[in-house]
Amino acid sequence: MSDRAYRVRVGTSAILLLLLGALATILSVIYTSSVTAFIGLGMIFWGAILAYIRPDQSVSASLLNATANPALSTLNQTLNELDYNGKPVYLPPKYLNSPDETKIYIPKSKDTPLPTPEQIQNLESQTPSRNPEGLLLTPPGAELARLFEKTLGTNFTRTDLDYLMKNMPRLMVESLEIATNLEIVLGTAKPPEPAKDPAPQEGEGHDKIRVRITDSIYEETSRETDQMTRIHGSIGCPLTSAIACAIARSTGRPTIITDEKTSDDGKTKEAEYQTYAEAI
Amino acid sequence: MNYPLGFWDISLLLAVCALVLLVTSELLSPHYGRTRIKINKNRLKNAALTVSILFLATVALRIVSILIGP
Repeated sequence: MSDRAYRVRVGTSAILLLLLGALATILSVIYTSSVTAFIGLGMIFWGAILAYIRPDQSVSASLLNATANPALSTLNQTLNELDYNGKPVYLPPKYLNSPDETKIYIPKSKDTPLPTPEQIQNLESQTPSRNPEGLLLTPPGAELARLFEKTLGTNFTRTDLDYLMKNMPRLMVESLEIATNLEIVLGTAKPPEPAKDPAPQEGEGHDKIRVRITDSIYEETSRETDQMTRIHGSIGCPLTSAIACAIARSTGRPTIITDEKTSDDGKTKEAEYQTYAEAI
Repeated sequence: MNYPLGFWDISLLLAVCALVLLVTSELLSPHYGRTRIKINKNRLKNAALTVSILFLATVALRIVSILIGP
């Protein structure tokens, strides 16, 4: 059943329940019947509940994947054509003119150092053809990271890694329902098994962050990006990219995706991030 | 023509509805990995809490009436 048909059916059921409930309540008053009154009130109540909890407008995951994949594929082809081999770096706001934006810097070669914040701010106003040493792009997860901020009602620049560790799992699972589980572990340790609770750890002083995402709605996109050599393990799929944006913004440090792995059944995705205190 | 239900009948109805809504809200919580169910779970949770508070208000009224009653 399509989403629209489902919504219409729920709406019709709610109206029907409300009408029948009102009729039963009127009859209960006329015939002074407490059983009919209970039935009438019950129907009115459940009709109102059904109308109130009607689903928001939503799109299917297949449509989401179908629209995300071509853009990522184009980005992959462009980077291949331009032959930019350096590791993409997620830049914190201090590198950019606008503090609300997140961008990635893709160096021309692996040996190209990360420019200073002032140099990157100058690069922002130039066309890519005039900066052969590196590309400045908006990452695929930038808007998703902005949605995270909007949903949490905060700006990641005012938070830290501890805040991300505490709030991201709840945001992903309960608020946005993007995945069924999300674990963030700091340091080099592997994430704990899903059955065990992740032990609380200190957020200060860590530069490696491991994230494990289970059963995300970006499963199909993630599988597709695994085949894209310039995206996989560097820019990342939209979800890992959004997490990289969040990490870069909250730590205020340049961040790279060092590793990205998808389980054989495609249900679990693991990504490793590294932040740097100074220029890479 | 009198309305056949009294205050305590409504309280009973609220109790039953609150119970059903609270249990449903908990069972459908995305916290248990149920993220593909097409209902607005935040609204369901709000409705469950509201009905529960209404029921508790009727209980509070009952307690007050016992305490200050003859």
